[in-house]
Formats: sequence, C-alpha cells, structure tokens
Amino acid sequence: MSFWHTAQNLDRRIIYVVLFLVVTYVLIKPIGLPIVVNRETQRAYDAVDKLAAGSILFVSADYGSSSIPEMLPAEKAVLRHVFRKGLKVIAGGMWNEAGAMHDLAWQEVSKDFPDKKYGVDFVNVGYKPGAGVLLERMISDAHQALLGIDFYSKNFSDLPLMGEFKTMKDAKMVFAFTSGDPGEKEWVKMVTDPLRMPFATAATAVAVPGQMPLLQSGQIIGILKGMGGAAEYELLVKSPGSAIAGMDAQSATHILMVLFIVLGNLGYLMTRKQTT
Amino acid sequence: MRREGPVIFAAIAGLAVIISGLFATDALKVVKDELDQWYLITTAFMVLVGLINLNLLHVRKISQKKEGWGYSIVLLAGMYFFIVFGLMRGSLGDAQYGWAYNATIVPMSATTFSLLMFYIGSASYRAFRARTAEATVLLLSAVVMMIGVVPIGRVIWSRLPDITSWILDYPNTAGIRGIQLGACIGGMATALRILVGIERGHLGGEG
Repeated sequence: MSFWHTAQNLDRRIIYVVLFLVVTYVLIKPIGLPIVVNRETQRAYDAVDKLAAGSILFVSADYGSSSIPEMLPAEKAVLRHVFRKGLKVIAGGMWNEAGAMHDLAWQEVSKDFPDKKYGVDFVNVGYKPGAGVLLERMISDAHQALLGIDFYSKNFSDLPLMGEFKTMKDAKMVFAFTSGDPGEKEWVKMVTDPLRMPFATAATAVAVPGQMPLLQSGQIIGILKGMGGAAEYELLVKSPGSAIAGMDAQSATHILMVLFIVLGNLGYLMTRKQTT
Repeated sequence: MRREGPVIFAAIAGLAVIISGLFATDALKVVKDELDQWYLITTAFMVLVGLINLNLLHVRKISQKKEGWGYSIVLLAGMYFFIVFGLMRGSLGDAQYGWAYNATIVPMSATTFSLLMFYIGSASYRAFRARTAEATVLLLSAVVMMIGVVPIGRVIWSRLPDITSWILDYPNTAGIRGIQLGACIGGMATALRILVGIERGHLGGEG
C-alpha cells in the first residue's frame, strides 16, 4: 500500500492518540498566543458597561453541563464585570440545568466579591418550565411566572432584590448564555424585541452562525463566540480564567485538524492521479 | 368523537392564541393566560411521562436480558438515586445533594461532550475531501474558519480573522436566513394543517 493511500485512510486511532497528546502537551506547556478582542465581544462588553450602578441585569443560562467549558467561563467573566459595575443580577433560564450552572458561577465569583450578598445583589431563580411562554408571562408578572420561589426554595418575599424585580420591564438588559433551543430566538421574540431591551449573548461555537442574522439586524448587540469569546471577555475584565488557558490548546487542535485534512486530501489527489 | 374531540380542541385553543396576538382585548387575554397556564402545567407533566417511558423501556430490557441490559440497571439506579435523594434533600442548596450532583452529573456530561473532539476530528479528516467543486469550496471555507477563529490564525496572517468574519457576516448569514425563513414557513404550514385537522400524526393516527 503506497504512502498516499495510507495518508487518505489513516486509522482513526492514530488521529485520536495524536489529538490527545497535542492537547495534553499544550495544556501543560502553554504557548501564550496573543488574544485580540473582536468587535462583537467588545459590543457586548460596552453594552453591560453602559448600565448605571444599581440596574438589574437578567442573566439566562440556556445551556447544560455539557457546554460548561465554553459557557461557564463566559458567565463568570460577565458576573465579575457586573459586580464591579455595581449592577444586580437575576439569574434564570429555560434549560433545566440553568439553576445549577448559575450556582456554579455564583459559588466561584462570590469568593472574589465578599461584599455581594445573595438575595440583595444576586438571585438565582433557576429553571422554570415553559420556555417562550415563561418569558412572555414574565413581562406581566415575573413572580407568578417564576412560581414565587428561587432555586434554593426560598420565597421571593425573603429576597430583597425580588422586591425590585416584579416584571421583565424592571430589568435593563438581558444577557443569555445559549447552546441551542430554547435560546436566543425565544428571548428576541418574547422579551427583548417587544420591550426594546438591549440583548447580548454568549453562544457555543456551533450556535454562533445561527445567531448572525439577529446580530446583523441589531436584535443582538454582541456575541461572545464560544470559548474564544469567553477568553476575550476575561481579557476585558482582566480576570484570566479557564477560557484564556484553553485557547492555546484550541489553536493547536485546529491546526492539527487542518494538517490531517490537508494530508487526507493530498493522499486522495495523488492516488487519483496515479489511478488516471 | 374520540378523534374529532382533540382536533376540535386544538383548533379552538390555537385560534384563540393566534387571535389574542392580533387583537388585544381583555376577554382574549384571559383566555390566553389560562391556556398558557395549561401549557406550563403540561410541560412540567411531560417530565413524568418521560420518566415512566424510560422506566418501561429499561425494565423490559433488563427482564428480557437484551444486549446492554447491565447498563440499563446502572441507568435506573442512578435515576432513582437522584430522584429519591432530591426529594429527601430538596435542591442544590443542600450541601450533600449539591456535592453529589457536582461530583457526578457535571463532570460526566462535560466528559461525554468532550469526547466529541475525537469523533469530529476523525469525521473531519474523512469528510472534507475535494471530490467536487462544491466540496472544494466547503473544504477551503472550513479550513479558513478553523484557523481564523483561533489566536494562531492572526499569528499566521493578520488578515485571516477579517476573512473569517466576512464568511460569517455574508455567505453564512445569507444561507442561515434562507434556511430559517424556509423553516418558519414550513412551521406555519404544519401548524395550519394541525389547526384545521388535516395533520393528525400527533394523535397517533395517519396524517
């Protein structure tokens, strides 16, 4: 069997082993490639930065634990920015792991902000069923739509921040972390377009292309694109985290995949030439 | 009446919601709010339906000792553990339940998803071949995107991220808009067919 024939028919286990070794090596010995903030991330950052201190930001975790590597670093970076600005956060979501994801983010970020209190600066209302219908009902009566209890089963009457948040109109902006459906479309249809509310998202890399029409039409102000967007936001808030740490590995993996693709195509073209 | 009843009810409910979106009267708002409540309750109830279905499927698999029945035992054990533990302890606000959840479900979900790296890598290697002109365009776009979206792309060529952005902003957006428009029109057509009773697949019968 010729070299070119082998090149286009590599055993997949070779690909798996090489990928594993390259990713592991780069994670242990980072290269330190420069990260440049792109305009969509900057727009999302500027939109949050413009909010006045004391404003309420609604943060929606429309992702599950499988998207943690891309979404959780973004959420933590956004929370850090929000707390530094003196903003307040109501955290909910349309996915059933929303509350758990916000809990993970709050547990870590709150350690760096000991003056921020649960119930006063941050409330995790968790997941409530209904997707788009839930969002629509939150416009008229958020307490009823959210069933009056938070993720930890505390009554809203015991949480001072919920006294300031009666409907979605009391929030000044929505920031959604999305990885699929339901996600940004429900927010745009039901809340941010009817209320003309600023809306930014952090999306998994595969979900970004689907959000581009909304970005172009101005219905989404800015998008944090995958782990790269999360790394850029960490850079903007000057809090390096797992996203920045993962970018070198992502670069190495992508280059490796391109090399495999080129090798496979060279093998295909050379064997086709030999056949003809 | 057994088949006509659900069709008539679906038609009335659907029309009520559509008309309430077009004409904002108090009477229609009351009807819509009530239907929304029913929708929320039904959505929550679906979790129970899923639970029962999963149970039936895996208990049957275990009793008949079909291939992989051992995994079914693990699945049911894990499922009931978290159901019982959650009902006893409340939610993630409880330290022990939170530990169990964060120590098992979170890392296992993340790990399972991370395995995709290997499958996508192998699939990309095999799928992206320049067999035709269209396949070549797809291949070149994929290579440009893959390098342009990561930091090393800017190091290789400073204009590469701009080309990547152009691909996302123009060809991609145009294609996605067309697909989404088509999907919306298709969805509207299906919804109309359900409302007028032509489509009856959801009733378990012929469409």
